[in-house]
Amino acid sequence: MKAQNSPCCEHAGETAVEVRDLRVSINDRQVLQGVNLSVPHGKVVALIGPNGSGKTTLLRALLGLQPIASGEIKVLGERRIRRVLHRIGYVPQRLVLERSFILSVREFLALRMRSSRNWFWKTRHQIDYLIGEALEEIGVGSLLDRPIAQLSGGQMQRVLIAFSLLEKPELLLLDEPTAGVDQPGEQTFYELIAQVQKKRHLTVVLVSHDLSMVYRHASWIYALNGVICCEGPPERVINEESLKQAFGIHVSPYHHHHHAH
Amino acid sequence: MLTESFMQRALLAALFLGPAAALLGVFVTARRMAFFSDTIAHAALAGIALGFWFGFFNPTFPMIIFSLVVAAAMMWLKSNTDLLTDTIMALLLSGSVALGIVILSLLEGRRGDLHRYLFGDILAVSWMDVGFAGALLVAVGGVVFTRLSDLTLLTANEDLAHVCGGSVARLNYLFVVGLTVTVAMSIRLLGIILVTALLVIPPAAARNLSCNLRQQIVFSIMLGLAGSVGGAMLSYPLEVPCGPAIVLTCIALFCLSLVGKWQLARRAFR
Repeated sequence: MKAQNSPCCEHAGETAVEVRDLRVSINDRQVLQGVNLSVPHGKVVALIGPNGSGKTTLLRALLGLQPIASGEIKVLGERRIRRVLHRIGYVPQRLVLERSFILSVREFLALRMRSSRNWFWKTRHQIDYLIGEALEEIGVGSLLDRPIAQLSGGQMQRVLIAFSLLEKPELLLLDEPTAGVDQPGEQTFYELIAQVQKKRHLTVVLVSHDLSMVYRHASWIYALNGVICCEGPPERVINEESLKQAFGIHVSPYHHHHHAH
Repeated sequence: MLTESFMQRALLAALFLGPAAALLGVFVTARRMAFFSDTIAHAALAGIALGFWFGFFNPTFPMIIFSLVVAAAMMWLKSNTDLLTDTIMALLLSGSVALGIVILSLLEGRRGDLHRYLFGDILAVSWMDVGFAGALLVAVGGVVFTRLSDLTLLTANEDLAHVCGGSVARLNYLFVVGLTVTVAMSIRLLGIILVTALLVIPPAAARNLSCNLRQQIVFSIMLGLAGSVGGAMLSYPLEVPCGPAIVLTCIALFCLSLVGKWQLARRAFR
């Protein structure tokens, strides 16, 4: 199934992410075999697909973390991604930290801000002042003194979101952000993302395996399996036929009657 | 004790190397690189032996070069083969030790040196080594504190470090070079077998007393300084080798830090 009214047509010249015929090989395996993708400014776009379908590889390529074989990537109008990294927020799948590494949440957040990169020599009040906005918006104020390695899954994701939002990014890339978070935590997390996205008019690219959350929060979906199998608004992509095409097996679609967008 | 010239050299070397190793150690332990530094230390034996073989009187320079070669080999094998990191390290560690022992046993008059390098020899510290150690402390301290945010992010998550604009590969190499030179230089004092202790014990003890990374770094430097200088000073009147004295002093400090941790926990509980 190919969507007729692709989002790039509605917002010509306003794409935040543009991918043309992207090919990526890892260990001689072609993970991405000619991917085309277009994300308009201010939209929440989700990438879904089975394990090994290249979702994370695609997201890493957008960040310049993954060498590409051929094709073209333009992020925020720039081909040299390093130049726009400061305008991108990134939330990794999870942060695995040695328990011996006693980095506090306050210190971790200070690492993101250019103004607080010399955090070692600043007082806690100075750091709190610099990172203050994220504390209020995301509500991580009570966690500041906690070692980051000892946070629960949900708390960790909140801190990672706060971290990614600190330099006021225009584009937010989320890689399975709720892996290891329980169901209520997951819902809260996506509600928080939706709230921040609306307030700041952020562009969000989200990799997720959770079709119900994607259904509720994404405005456009790309189903990936080496190539883009289908794309469109959630109600069109999340149905039995197109999921079978993308995932290769029978997957029950999630029907939700209160579409958020 | 302080009037003895060799003791002055040893104490100064301990004064410079203890804090440098303890500072790097905070990141070595967090990045699980203790075995890596152990491999570097053992590789130094082959470097020392090769230095003597090629006629160097002071083997510091060939020791550092050979350790750097082994560190580079480790990183290359890690990224270009499917071998597990542990396997690569065990291979290079045993290979270097075997090569070092074979060369030393072939060299007339050097067979007795093995013991000195395995367990450290305070008499072997030259003024050149002291100068080197001082420069090393300045370099390690300078790089770690100017690039502290990048190094901390790299330790937490490489992808995040990249996204935040850090030059991940360059910093990684810089860290490995700093670690390799620090380990190789510390062998004079602690010996090949015990040198990793100076990287691991002070940060571990500091961890017991700290609530955040800044505290861990500060305490680790202080404990590394106290352990190395204290151990070197104790080794003289007790007439014991310097390396084991430093390690045991560090362990005593670690035990004290455990007591401190329990006291802090009890106070917090009340």
